Amino acid sequence: MVWWSLLWMFLKVNLLSPSGPASIGLLYKEAVTRQLMTEAQFVEAVGFSNVLPGSEALKLAMFVGFAAGGMPGVFTALLGAILPPTVMMLIVSAILQRFQQSNWIDGFVAGMSPAVAALIVVVAWELFRATSSKTIDRRAVLIAALSAGAFWLELPSPLVLLGAGLLGVLLYGQRSYG
Amino acid sequence: MENLLPLFLIFLKVNLLSTSGPASVGLLYHEMVGSYVTESQFVQAVGFSSVLPGSDALQLAMYIGYAVGGIPGGLVALLASILPPTVIILGVTVILHRLRREAWISSFIEGLTPAIAMLMLFTAWKIFQKGGTDGWEAWAIGLVSMAGMLSKKVPERIVIIIAGVIGVLFLS
Repeated sequence: MVWWSLLWMFLKVNLLSPSGPASIGLLYKEAVTRQLMTEAQFVEAVGFSNVLPGSEALKLAMFVGFAAGGMPGVFTALLGAILPPTVMMLIVSAILQRFQQSNWIDGFVAGMSPAVAALIVVVAWELFRATSSKTIDRRAVLIAALSAGAFWLELPSPLVLLGAGLLGVLLYGQRSYG
Repeated sequence: MENLLPLFLIFLKVNLLSTSGPASVGLLYHEMVGSYVTESQFVQAVGFSSVLPGSDALQLAMYIGYAVGGIPGGLVALLASILPPTVIILGVTVILHRLRREAWISSFIEGLTPAIAMLMLFTAWKIFQKGGTDGWEAWAIGLVSMAGMLSKKVPERIVIIIAGVIGVLFLS
């Protein structure tokens, strides 16, 4: 595999997909039809990307890059995944900072706020449902209730998240992931 | 400039404690809003990062970093977001076969997920309340947006752009 064609593949995937999760489908098509990975390897990469910390689109791209060309492949994937979103966002940030005092920005944000709140609720719901067991079990509800109480009391959120993770280790124990 | 180190550490922490871009929104809100960026800047960051193509997490980092410290801020936030997954992947590809047996990692994430979902609900409520208006107009926009996103017929970014335009026309 030639490096620039690998880079182009990652650039394309990241330009065409609006978000991390959305890029999985495109990446799958590219990686499996180009025979960079077998289907089983790809599924395994998706599993690891969901479990390990950090942006999942980035991790998935690096897994594909590794399969295609070892360490140089990982850095090619990283470059391809980072360039499109950051260059665009830099331009948008620079423009928006200039207009920060304008009235229309206030209106735009006032209209966008409820929609952004709705988006966060929808993603939270999908996240909650998408735990590896695929069903909402009592343990997940218990952890959700306890952490809701902790956030209500305004305990520091990183501590609450760590606590929830540890509780998960206690409740779910030694169960291999699907 | 003296903001760059705390900025780096915050993004490092957020990216170590969340498994995906959207999941980091709740944590990032708690760490940044009030002390480094305004409510309005945060909403713009989340809104535009879901509108533009590419990874949400990196765009969110870029925007907030830029708001705090210009281009150096954006690059610092970007670096801190990239570092944890990259180091972890480089490690994992080497010890992949051994890690597969470490079931406690998946149990940890299993426990983390409901808590992240809750944190996001709290964040959503705060963003909604402080969005400039929480009258019936905001409820209408919020509920219609949620219905649109849940129906899966309208792409999320279109919903957010429409909501913003409605805001410019009727709420400013």
